[in-house]
Amino acid sequence: MASAAAGSLPRYVLIRVLLVVPMMWVLLTIVFLLLRVAPGDPVTAAVGDKLSPEALESRRAALGLDRPLVVQYLEYLGRVAQLDFGRTISDNRPVLEIIKNQGGATLTLTLGAFLFALLIALPLGRLAGRHRDTALDAVIRIFGVVSYAAPIFWVGILLVLFVITFVPSWPTFGIASAETEFYVPDRTGIILVDAILANDSASVVDVLQHHVLPCFTLGLLLSGVIIRLVRVNVIQSLKDDYVEAARARGIPERRVVRKHAFRNALVPVITVIGLQFALTLSGAILTERTFNWPGLGNELVAYVTARDYVAVQGLVTFFAVAVVVVSVAVDVLNALVDPRVRY
Amino acid sequence: MTRSRRALSLAGAAILTLGLAACGEGERDNSGGGEGGSASGSWTLGTTETVTAMDPAGSYDIGSWNMQYSLFEQLMAIPAGESEPVGDAAESCEYDDPQTITCTLREGLTFSNGNELTSSDVRFSLERNLQIADPNGSAVLLGAIKDPDRDALADGAVETPDDQTVVFNLNQPDLTFLKILSSATASIVDEETFPADSLLEDEQVVGSGPFMLSEYSASKQAVLEANPEYDGERAPASETVFVQFFNDAAPLRNAIASSQLDVAWRTLSPTDLTSLEDAGDVEVLRGEGSEFRYWVWQLGTDVGGDKAVRQAVAQVIDREAIAQNAYDGTVEPSYSIVPPGFGGQKDSFAEAYGEGPDVEAARQTLREAGVKTPVRLTLGYTPTHYGPNTVDEARELAGQLEDSGLFEVSTEDAEWEEYQTLYKQNAYDLFVLGWYPDFLDADNYLSPFLRDGGFYQNNYSSQEVNSLLDEELGETDEATREEQIGELQDIVAEDVPLIPSWNGQNVAVAVPEMEGVEGSLDPTYIFRLWEISKG
Repeated sequence: MASAAAGSLPRYVLIRVLLVVPMMWVLLTIVFLLLRVAPGDPVTAAVGDKLSPEALESRRAALGLDRPLVVQYLEYLGRVAQLDFGRTISDNRPVLEIIKNQGGATLTLTLGAFLFALLIALPLGRLAGRHRDTALDAVIRIFGVVSYAAPIFWVGILLVLFVITFVPSWPTFGIASAETEFYVPDRTGIILVDAILANDSASVVDVLQHHVLPCFTLGLLLSGVIIRLVRVNVIQSLKDDYVEAARARGIPERRVVRKHAFRNALVPVITVIGLQFALTLSGAILTERTFNWPGLGNELVAYVTARDYVAVQGLVTFFAVAVVVVSVAVDVLNALVDPRVRY
Repeated sequence: MTRSRRALSLAGAAILTLGLAACGEGERDNSGGGEGGSASGSWTLGTTETVTAMDPAGSYDIGSWNMQYSLFEQLMAIPAGESEPVGDAAESCEYDDPQTITCTLREGLTFSNGNELTSSDVRFSLERNLQIADPNGSAVLLGAIKDPDRDALADGAVETPDDQTVVFNLNQPDLTFLKILSSATASIVDEETFPADSLLEDEQVVGSGPFMLSEYSASKQAVLEANPEYDGERAPASETVFVQFFNDAAPLRNAIASSQLDVAWRTLSPTDLTSLEDAGDVEVLRGEGSEFRYWVWQLGTDVGGDKAVRQAVAQVIDREAIAQNAYDGTVEPSYSIVPPGFGGQKDSFAEAYGEGPDVEAARQTLREAGVKTPVRLTLGYTPTHYGPNTVDEARELAGQLEDSGLFEVSTEDAEWEEYQTLYKQNAYDLFVLGWYPDFLDADNYLSPFLRDGGFYQNNYSSQEVNSLLDEELGETDEATREEQIGELQDIVAEDVPLIPSWNGQNVAVAVPEMEGVEGSLDPTYIFRLWEISKG
């Protein structure tokens, strides 16, 4: 039947990848238009208090801002296609270099946050599912809601205040101590990897210590969603026939939950983790700000404040591309895992 | 042991290791021992100031300039706590007449890369600054040697008769130029390293100052190491200085509160400073500042164009209340366009209107001018550019004016980028601005503000003021110049194109072991990293 061919995995992957093109086009267009409709003029914002009106006009012309919007738009699309995001207005840095230099910090923050989220959420979700409608379940559910709803910067500030009060030697800002950043040679743009490659255990420990608070803070946000998901799936799995069969075979309840119900409950979590990527990136911006984390989010906020439109456009585009790529990857992974997912 | 238990054990071990490491705090050897003369040890500075460019031709901001003061020499330098420049790369710089300066360089100057520093490098540095005319740069300060028709050095403006001598022929009498030569815009760069027509990448800058830039990662960290080639008066007290950049004051405050930094300089809020002072674990050090906050009248509006209204507001404003209520007493009320400490400074507004508010006098001023009260006034401010306390200041002033019964005030705010356009387009009758000096001279608070509407284009213009500005710029007799500067302040108090609000302090927070911090807190806002060490 034709439907069998239409539902093949390669076809699904191909269509999913092809759909990236219109998705990217829409994203790039939105980024471009949003920055153009925002009030104020980017050149005045960045350097306006220092230049004469004539000099400002010449600067606008140099950036192509005096040209028709359509021309600017097409040029922008052309440059992005060549991975040319331009140079920032306020400090004249190539945006691609910012992405290369600071992307690693955002990456390790995001991965660390996922790790913490899983460490927190999986056991708690399992416990809550197993002890459904008990006081323990209620406490865990409330924890899940609060950790998801609490503003990330607020949680971060509270944690920092707690740490500097009770463990003052624990680092509360940055990705590594000043000495580690200086002494560890930059090879990959990811300081943790660089420290490992340098075989410098003191630096590795230092970098890991610096990761704990920011990753934990961002991980809390993610854990709220995952706790609820794992709980629901464990409850659902515990009602399934194969679980009943396991119980009938006399397998102890703890083993039933861990070996049978919990493992199956993890499948949807993979999908959700992918979908949470965008949330994580937005959370990373606030987390980086709170902990002075040298990542792209921190840079983005600084450039938004400086109204550096070239930098903001480049960084937002990069974030958008990252979300699209991850969502496609998750869809493909999902299709590989679950044969029912096909066009 | 099951796999999950093993994983949990591993995670627990990792956390324990990290925790023990935190307790042990295995510090690196920061005893220094480098090649930089007697310098030893290291310390870490945290700041929210940003570096626009390490290249002196590409920046005009406190963050960049402070790095450049450490990396480069200028012909002249201003020692801590003083206001007059002394020799830096130059043995001496003297005015031959108000339009001519001759500088003689010290013998044996070299850049940190070993290249010789000669008069040719001085000329090259100024020429490329003017030629590049970077929009983020400070070439605008070099107007006295600029070709009037293009971005270039004027013919004959800088002569180099030999390797040690530089002669400046200014296009008009200008006694402030020597101070401009002591600012970072006149930093001397190596002509064999720096391109003539474009900026050098930050990481590659080479200077002859007390420090070399060993590592720089924009908006993250700069590492300065003592320059072994340096043999001037500014010998560094520490071998290494780590500068960590913060995008926000909150983590900076927490980092210094827990001594993760050795010094925090610029910019913590008054609330943070008070809380750190109360906690007592670190020292809050205050020095004289030259930051100036003021309210500008837009004379292009009906209200702002009425001199009686402008004077009445100057009579009603309570600066002491603004300092206390909006800034926790961390700023000093200002009664002149020129801050205290400058030659010729006088509190003209206090003389004209008194130090405290006088509502009755204001009522009479308005009555005599036939102005109907209450006067409707639009007051503008920008909520983040100068820090959140600006909002408190605007509310405080609006409240004072309303409480007088003479004014009906509506406050309007806009973010900085819009604000700059709006105040020039007459959107506000009265709006707030701030100023840091480019160089320490009273003229830097007069010419940019008063000549033909000032940089803020408030439509104030006075031939008398313009003439006086020209006169004081070229006046060689100090007493006469101070008299002229005093006269200008009196005119400002009479015409009220702006109302002074307060002068800020130069504040740093340091752990108790630090030495040399307090001495560097002066009105220049030059943070002399070379004078600071960790005891």
